[in-house]
Amino acid sequence: MESLIEELKTKIIGGFHLEGVTPADINADEPIFGTGLELDSIDALELVAILESDYGIVITERSVADKAFASLRALADFVAANRT
Amino acid sequence: MSRRTPVITGTGIICAAGCGVASVWESIRVNRSGLGPLTLFPSPRFGNHLVGQVCDDVENLAGNVRGSRSDKLSWIAAREALAAAGYSAGLGPINPAGVGVMLGSTVGGMLGTEKVLTALLRKNRHRFSPLRFHECASTADLCAKQIGALGPVATFSTACSAGAMAILAAAEMIEQGEADVMLAGAGDSLSRLTLNGFGSLLLLDPNGCRPFDSRRTGISLGEGAAMLVIEAEETAIARGATILARLAGWGASCDAFHATAPQPEGSGAFAAMQQALKRGGLQPGEIDFVSAHGTATPDNDAMEMRALKRLFGDAVPPFASVKHFFGHTLAASGAIKAVLAVQSLREQAIPGTPGFEVADERLGLEPVKEFRAQPVSLILSNSFGFGGNNVALVFGRSVDSAERRHYPADQHAALCREAATSKGIPILGTGVVSAAGNSLAEIAEAFRNGGTAASPFPVPAISPTAQAKVHACGDFGAEQIIEPAKRRKLSRIQQMTLVAAKKALGAELIGTTTPEKICAVIGTGLGSLTDTAAFVENLILKDERAPRPALFTSSVHNSLASQVAIELKLSGLNSTPVQREISFETALWQGANELASGRAELALVGAADELNQYHLAAGIRGRGRNKTSQRSLPGEGCALFTLGRKETAATPLAFVSAIRIGRSEKPDAVAEANWILETLERDGIAPGEVDLLLTGANNVPAQTEFYRGLVAEFSRRAGHEILLDTYQHVGGEHHSASAFGFFTAIGLVRGEIAAERACKTVVLLTLSPTGTKGMCCLRA
Repeated sequence: MESLIEELKTKIIGGFHLEGVTPADINADEPIFGTGLELDSIDALELVAILESDYGIVITERSVADKAFASLRALADFVAANRT
Repeated sequence: MSRRTPVITGTGIICAAGCGVASVWESIRVNRSGLGPLTLFPSPRFGNHLVGQVCDDVENLAGNVRGSRSDKLSWIAAREALAAAGYSAGLGPINPAGVGVMLGSTVGGMLGTEKVLTALLRKNRHRFSPLRFHECASTADLCAKQIGALGPVATFSTACSAGAMAILAAAEMIEQGEADVMLAGAGDSLSRLTLNGFGSLLLLDPNGCRPFDSRRTGISLGEGAAMLVIEAEETAIARGATILARLAGWGASCDAFHATAPQPEGSGAFAAMQQALKRGGLQPGEIDFVSAHGTATPDNDAMEMRALKRLFGDAVPPFASVKHFFGHTLAASGAIKAVLAVQSLREQAIPGTPGFEVADERLGLEPVKEFRAQPVSLILSNSFGFGGNNVALVFGRSVDSAERRHYPADQHAALCREAATSKGIPILGTGVVSAAGNSLAEIAEAFRNGGTAASPFPVPAISPTAQAKVHACGDFGAEQIIEPAKRRKLSRIQQMTLVAAKKALGAELIGTTTPEKICAVIGTGLGSLTDTAAFVENLILKDERAPRPALFTSSVHNSLASQVAIELKLSGLNSTPVQREISFETALWQGANELASGRAELALVGAADELNQYHLAAGIRGRGRNKTSQRSLPGEGCALFTLGRKETAATPLAFVSAIRIGRSEKPDAVAEANWILETLERDGIAPGEVDLLLTGANNVPAQTEFYRGLVAEFSRRAGHEILLDTYQHVGGEHHSASAFGFFTAIGLVRGEIAAERACKTVVLLTLSPTGTKGMCCLRA
């Protein structure tokens, strides 16, 4: 699980072009959006697209995304359970 | 009582709920939804979603007009509206110079463009000709040509409020006396871009939208068009036309909050509605019915209800959303609602809200469920677009015309005189990004050197090694000017626009007034082409897997003006004219109009366009027939300007006046000279004062010849030699080039850019190949 968390951190930093942010800067237990990373609702939807293209997980409802993005750890659990 | 009150004399409509006003109204009367399966194109991802597809034979109904599906839908509605207004056999005794067209468009010819790209990317077929209908302006060009309109013609692309914005602009044109008769409305077809785009935002409800319902999850995408003939009351009365309803008020605002999400408290929606009431001299208690935007997204409906409660308090009038009848038709939405409002006033009945079943306690309000008869005198109709571009319109009964208070035209004229100095509207700031550089010094040098060096631009759409020679912008300092957290979310053209905006409208100017007193009108011919193309390529090549929301949100043309408003916190009118080569002049008119009316203290106006390989590919193929080596090269860039009112403390760089847009059937030197002279005269400028005519001439011999003839005629009439110059060899040829021309003209009148002799007064003239034209006059 820890390696999946690290993998997701790298994808977030790369996918959102977060200059100057390192994986260590991201706390796995904090909400991904609305915190110090300055990611907004469009980024959340971009993450939905990343989950689909990289892990084959199709999200069609916002409530599912909101739950999965509660924290990076929650996201890793979600990816592990739903990846295809 | 003003005789220039805008009244409605004809309406037309086509959408999933029917073709023709009578047919759509019947669907509404019996509460019958037109939502159904998508058959227009295959969609692997969203093919099972209910949509509002027009099932009538659009090709056949449109007759022999050529254009995109959006163009044809629009023309079907326009023809109905014109016939209803008594113009089916032409304009009759009406002077075509007083007839204009103002339309809204979001999708334009995207459906055809998607087919071109699919054939190219899937089958390597090179058939670019349908791209000539790609642009949003294609519909207005078509309608203007069909009618023979020679007055102001423009297109606005403020996403889902575009149709309402076009109606607002038409009303202003009528009231100012710029036109007597306007065709106003909008049309948008379904497209893979918008279906996948809203899908990527998780804003589609597969089984049909449920406005204001506690279970609502999003929109149903629809298509359609609606048109209104709007006339000055005096014109309508003089020709004995039946007045169906009148435009009793209109208002616009910007959330300045987020690219797609509305401001949660509905502050922008509230401001637009409040403006509309104020404009009509109305009190909230006088509104009998609200035709809500009501898209059925969780956020829109919640914020719209908050705004209604704030405006109306405990006495919110009956309200409904008609979105489940035909889907969310994007730009057409506001125009369709306008036509339905006219119908409600005539029939004294209001529509219901199909799709709504379970009340949402969080909203605290419930819409009208079913069609019912009810006395209605005034209807408020809301339209809210991405980027927080809000427009509210008020429609009133025709019989009430004489009784109603209205902002009188003479008061308007007085305000216009008040706003400008004797030399015109002061220009207080400039910001430019161009191939010749981003500073006055660099650009002045490029003029001294006789032009800008060309650079190669890859065009893989033609062949892997194909290149076009272009005037491309170099580094424009985005890294220094925009902080990284913001920059990462902006496309290149958005960054260009924001850099120019920050230069044109600095903190010291912003600090002179309040956010709602600053409007931003930024035109673009083609918008964020690169992001739009990337989104469409992605959905074609990956079979609609993982559509990218960030690319979709920047694909809307108004993402340029709205992101500037978000960053600089500008909450006045926010608009995006998209009228090809005169997008800038239209922006100039609209910004100046906001100043003149007293609604704005500062207006940020300008235009931006970027190079893209598909646009170049279409140009290369299209130009094959008319090849000329001297022609100026395709370019790109952004130029923005801050205009103020005469009492503004800052020292003006120059003054602008004689701002006008219009249309010619075909270019004629004498007719254009007449048009310029007439426009100068209106603003009290003696032709003898003019030193130079600056044009968008692109060095094709026939054009050069034409402009020489024009300036000869102009000189003859002015009684002295007027110089002729162009700017295309420096900034390149693109739809926003005349904004660069405006920057050049400021440099010329200030003596910072060299001309053959000192120039104190410069006329900037832009003629689009489609016939639309724009001009203004700059003075030191």
